[in-house]
Amino acid sequence: MCGIVGYLNKSATAEPPVGDVLFRLLTPLGRRGPDSAGVAVFGRSREPNYILRIKLGERGEFEEKGKAVGERLRPLGVVHEQQIFAEYLRVVIGPVSDAENLDREVESLADGIELVSLGHQLEIAKHVGSPANLEESYHIRAISGTHGIGHTRLSTESRVDLSHSQPFWARGVPDLATVHNGHITNYHKLRRQYEQKGYRFYTENDSEIIGIYLRDQMAQGCTFEEALWSSVEDLDGSFCYLAATASSLACVKDPFALKPLMVAESDEFVAVATEEVALRAVFPNDLQVIEPGAGQVRSWSIATCAVEKV
Amino acid sequence: MATKEKILSNRLDASGKTAREINEQIRELITAGEKEIRVSNPEARHNLAVGILACVSVVFEGSVGYYCGGMIDGAELEVLGSAGWGLGESMLSGTIRVRGNAGNSCAASIRGGTVVVHGSVGARAGISMKGGLLIIERDCGYMAGFMMQKGIIVICGNAGPALADSMYEGRVFVGGEIEELGNDAVVKEPDDEEGKFLRENLGAWGISVEHPFKKVVSGRRLWNFDRQEMGLWREAL
Repeated sequence: MCGIVGYLNKSATAEPPVGDVLFRLLTPLGRRGPDSAGVAVFGRSREPNYILRIKLGERGEFEEKGKAVGERLRPLGVVHEQQIFAEYLRVVIGPVSDAENLDREVESLADGIELVSLGHQLEIAKHVGSPANLEESYHIRAISGTHGIGHTRLSTESRVDLSHSQPFWARGVPDLATVHNGHITNYHKLRRQYEQKGYRFYTENDSEIIGIYLRDQMAQGCTFEEALWSSVEDLDGSFCYLAATASSLACVKDPFALKPLMVAESDEFVAVATEEVALRAVFPNDLQVIEPGAGQVRSWSIATCAVEKV
Repeated sequence: MATKEKILSNRLDASGKTAREINEQIRELITAGEKEIRVSNPEARHNLAVGILACVSVVFEGSVGYYCGGMIDGAELEVLGSAGWGLGESMLSGTIRVRGNAGNSCAASIRGGTVVVHGSVGARAGISMKGGLLIIERDCGYMAGFMMQKGIIVICGNAGPALADSMYEGRVFVGGEIEELGNDAVVKEPDDEEGKFLRENLGAWGISVEHPFKKVVSGRRLWNFDRQEMGLWREAL
């Protein structure tokens, strides 16, 4: 099972708060994935600064550790903002000289910390439990932005904890995140290949490989769109996944259409969800909802000129 | 006044209710003798109107989720929006009419009755059909009629890949293009009687027949194993 949702405001305005839309889309899908919930939201660009969301530990309060990590971040760049809420340290830092290796720098600061998301716009909040728990812990409804993706997880293969929850940031690529519903059956084979190439995996969750796949394809010169299309052939198993970048949202369906995904689109926005029930809970009845066919890729972009308005 | 009250009493507002509550209320209305029930705000919830064994009409004023009308016997359902996966799965008799689109596996394993989708449908439509009639006004995805054993599928638009793959019996009529035939599927010309059947049945649902239909049936080469035809089996399995 698992439930995935996505929302993109084509006009790039930040109203309504994308966090609120994602939360309301996710809630009806809670029963598809009671193990964990998460969102990846793209807000106002902080370029040249980076927004870091750092996991300090699995569960509990990490005030002291957060402060210590915050202190140790200072040599890497100017820290503009620093907040700690429960398991997360959120930092806005920059400019950073070596963004490529920022994750390694950060993770070497203390034991058990993990960079959950990095980007000029991207912020990921995820944890075990329901969408309601996520809202309670991190107040996701108030997060504004132009677009985002969300996930409710029913774990089938790997551990239930914060790290194994989705969305996954495509490590190494700022502002790229994925959510996945399904099962990538050639995960172990692909993972061995990528590990030989030097990619590091943080979880045993097969969904993590999608971001790494996209990163690797783009490193070889593919455009984002090309990488999405080639994934239909290169990933095996059942999947519907969403990938979001700083300016776009895309959905990909496996060649056998083994997982559902519904799309509702108007002139102002596009919303996607595993089940129509989620879209109907948020949008009026007359909005047409369609299901992309087997092996299809669809993507939507925010007009680049409009991004400035955020 | 009495009529007005009756109209109100056979209306069921589904908003805020679970699928179980909605289905229970539909059953209560049937027990109370209602013959026409209208359900507003179905909001694409799953399993609506499953297992209704009474000859009653139920109209959903919006989209429904998965397995709507599954296992019904005699009911007439109408969906004024779209339907999710598994529409009318294993129904025995009755009709299901969807004004919008339907997801994957619509009319899967139906044994009788009629399913009409005025829009397009996803993959595996009419998979393993054991009787009945499935009419799709527009297009269908891949593997429609996969392993069907009996019954009729009418696709007025285009059919996706692997059409009628490994079917045993039954007939598939296609008005548009066939992207690719499935294993052991054979195209034939419909005869006069079949032409009449199509005109009458489509006309009854307000669907006009513009193009001549092609008929797809089983080539029957997979009915029995023959060592001489090993290649065919390798392909099919």
